[in-house]
Amino acid sequence: MTIEPLLMLRGVTKRFGGTTALDRVDFELRRGEIHALLGENGAGKSTLIKVLGGIHVPEHGTIEIEGRPTPIRTVADADRHGIRIIHQELSLAGNLSIAENIFLGREPSRFGWLRRGQMDRDAAALIASLGLVELEAADRARPDRKRQRLLGRLQGVRTPVSALSMAHQQLVEIARALSTQAKILVLDEPTSALSEAETEVLFATLRRLRDQGVGIIYISHRLEEILRLADRITVLRDGRAIGTQDAAKVNQRDLVRWMVGRDIADHFHRPAFRGGPIALEVRDLWGPRTFGVGFAVRYGEVFGLAGLVGAGRTELARLLFGIDPIQRGQVFVDGRPVRIAHPRDALNAGIVLVPEDRKREGLVMIQSVAFNLALPWVHEWITGCVPRGRRRRAIVDRAIREFGIRVANPEQCVAELSGGNQQKTLVARWTEHRPKVLILDEPTRGVDVGAREEMFAILNELVESGMAVVLISSDLAEVLHLSHRVALLRDGRLLRTVAAEEISLETMVAELTGAIAR
Amino acid sequence: MIVGKRLLPLVAAVVVLQLVFRFGIPFLWGGIPRFWHFENQLDIAQQISVNAILAFGMTLTILIGGIDLSVGALVALVGTTTVYLLGATRFAWWELPAFALLAGLGMEVVLRLILGGRSGGLARIAATTGLRAVLLAAVAFFCGRGDLGGPGRFLFAVWTALAVAALFGGFNGACAATTRMPPFIITLATMWVARGAALRFNEGRPMHIPEDQTVFLALGNGRLADTAPIPVIVMFLLFVAAAVLLHRTRFGQHLHAIGGNREAARYTGIPLVRREVAVYVICSLWTGVAGMIHASQLYSAEPASGVGFELNAIAAAVVGGTSFTGGIGTMAGTLVGAIIIGILDKGLNQAGVHYSFQYMVKGLVILAAVYLDVRRQAKRA
Repeated sequence: MTIEPLLMLRGVTKRFGGTTALDRVDFELRRGEIHALLGENGAGKSTLIKVLGGIHVPEHGTIEIEGRPTPIRTVADADRHGIRIIHQELSLAGNLSIAENIFLGREPSRFGWLRRGQMDRDAAALIASLGLVELEAADRARPDRKRQRLLGRLQGVRTPVSALSMAHQQLVEIARALSTQAKILVLDEPTSALSEAETEVLFATLRRLRDQGVGIIYISHRLEEILRLADRITVLRDGRAIGTQDAAKVNQRDLVRWMVGRDIADHFHRPAFRGGPIALEVRDLWGPRTFGVGFAVRYGEVFGLAGLVGAGRTELARLLFGIDPIQRGQVFVDGRPVRIAHPRDALNAGIVLVPEDRKREGLVMIQSVAFNLALPWVHEWITGCVPRGRRRRAIVDRAIREFGIRVANPEQCVAELSGGNQQKTLVARWTEHRPKVLILDEPTRGVDVGAREEMFAILNELVESGMAVVLISSDLAEVLHLSHRVALLRDGRLLRTVAAEEISLETMVAELTGAIAR
Repeated sequence: MIVGKRLLPLVAAVVVLQLVFRFGIPFLWGGIPRFWHFENQLDIAQQISVNAILAFGMTLTILIGGIDLSVGALVALVGTTTVYLLGATRFAWWELPAFALLAGLGMEVVLRLILGGRSGGLARIAATTGLRAVLLAAVAFFCGRGDLGGPGRFLFAVWTALAVAALFGGFNGACAATTRMPPFIITLATMWVARGAALRFNEGRPMHIPEDQTVFLALGNGRLADTAPIPVIVMFLLFVAAAVLLHRTRFGQHLHAIGGNREAARYTGIPLVRREVAVYVICSLWTGVAGMIHASQLYSAEPASGVGFELNAIAAAVVGGTSFTGGIGTMAGTLVGAIIIGILDKGLNQAGVHYSFQYMVKGLVILAAVYLDVRRQAKRA
């Protein structure tokens, strides 16, 4: 007899506008199994979780739980069917105690009065029954041991969550998820903020829960971790489930090849590199999350910053643009040292940054396209208190024309534009005067396929006209195939810089995930 | 764009209010026959001038996503400072140097914002700033030693009072821009500091303005060519200055960007700290002028006056279409907002409505105005 699956997805498809996030995905989760979900940035892992959690409703496909077809349309549906999702960012209230967090939203009460004693006892019992011994021990490390012994085990659950380590907070989150009838536990990158030892604590708990019959879906970038923990592994690539394997039968090299092994689409046209003098040079740069990075970018070159989420790519860009303070190190533009303490300094030196979050960091969303295009050049079209409408119009018209921004009229509110056109607006406004170095952070995030191609064409044009471009993208294939050279970043450190022709996507992913070290 | 589509409904509201108070409501109430007399209308203009001036500054702070609650107390502090320095027959030995130093520092704050420029390291900036402030203080000290009622003393009094205002504004702005404290709390705190400072003068009792201070008394009560009230003229000048600043300069564009999206403004290279400090200093300077007009109108400086003025100013700005989320607002809107509140106050008063009802009507009108504005914006988006 085959084991009856706990959860079964068949042909699940989810589209966002023009992009297909999930394409006929089949997925099976058994009772008492840790099933790892693996894939590159943007492969569809988060979308899949959101489908399970009732945040996204798929267009096609069925979800079965314990053999019965179970449509999940709302978050409440998912909750009712025992699906518990623990997202990357914890959702605990730091000022509240462990017990209060576990029972948040369904505190035991009598006639509206909170029954705190009951709550503490229930929480302690729950922790004991789940065998979260690590959590029971959490408070033992705290200094006032005498008092604790007096209060016994209850004291533990009264500890405020903010006093716990990240791993223990993670466990509280798990306890909360399992405090009601839970069949399926989903963890999204739970170890990204954990230390080595804390990870072990978490793993021990997960294994015990598995043995109690909970089905666990585990998502992580870290291959080594997955091989150690998971029973089976399913790989997602470009929104498709590529296949499922027993973890015992594969090694890291297999996994990498599996994750990346796609046909590289031929829509990438790397601009020709004609070779030019060095535009930007960075020596031994240190910042809040950057540790001794150094590289040089030439005019007419695309320099890719490759790394997984959290590798410190954006942080590096923020340093170079003067958003975050440079703690140590030097920046040279055209061979001359420049001091960057404020975005103004970067702009004066000819460095321009198009930030990753268009809505938050890029555009003034309540204003018009023209306002946003003309904003960096106010000093050119207003002298004293005399705005020169013609100059402003010239700036705006040039940008709209050259970049093909589709607007009804320039005074249209920028929020009404599509993602691609917003992105074009952001890039266009900086080209009024040619910057020396253009840093593009995630230029294709949230834009549809057509706009992506247009962005690539714009990039090519700018580079071939001799601009130095630093490209950051979570799509590693994109970085590799558009850049002339690539810097591999991991945990805020530069692993190495390599010519794009000399490294394969597989090797790159392997190095970035730490599967192989050089 | 000084006058936009958003202004039309506000102007319509002014017209409607004028008609209602003149001709009344059919079958219910007969209206006020003398409401449209020239003198009566001038009276309204004169009465709104202080609130309007405060509202101009308030509009700037709200536009960048902040607020300034200290203006009411600052009105009192500026009034008491000016009148004290104008009328004191003799100073304690430390008073003149101390006030001169404040005058120097306050002027320096304003000068730095106007001249701008980041030159050299911190030490050099501190040195040049300190030197200039001391020089200015010396000049102020010299002015302050002038005769009672003389031009030197007058200059000293006005200068020092405005400098005190500028220092408060600079402090508010610096805190708002460089710390994570919310402007609401910062200015709530400085409001009490300013109030306390105002109460230091004359043991908190009102100080009469000497009758020979004709220039200062004219500020609040005089008339140009026997018709145009001087406070209204001053209000108009400050309106034009604020409107030009907000709608026709780089500074104004930057404020719109900061209010619309602070992070985006940072990524565009806009100097956030400098702009934010400037906004609060301007708000305080405008408040300073309003404080002097207020004292002049009362013929005395009252340390306990100005309570709640900040709320009236906020009301005018908000009725005028300034968005509390920041980034949206016009000076003309604020001016009309102040006019609406002014007409309402005067009209209800002359109609003999009990003042308790006046408050209620005012509250409901503000609520209605903001509701309509919010709804209109939601429809547009």
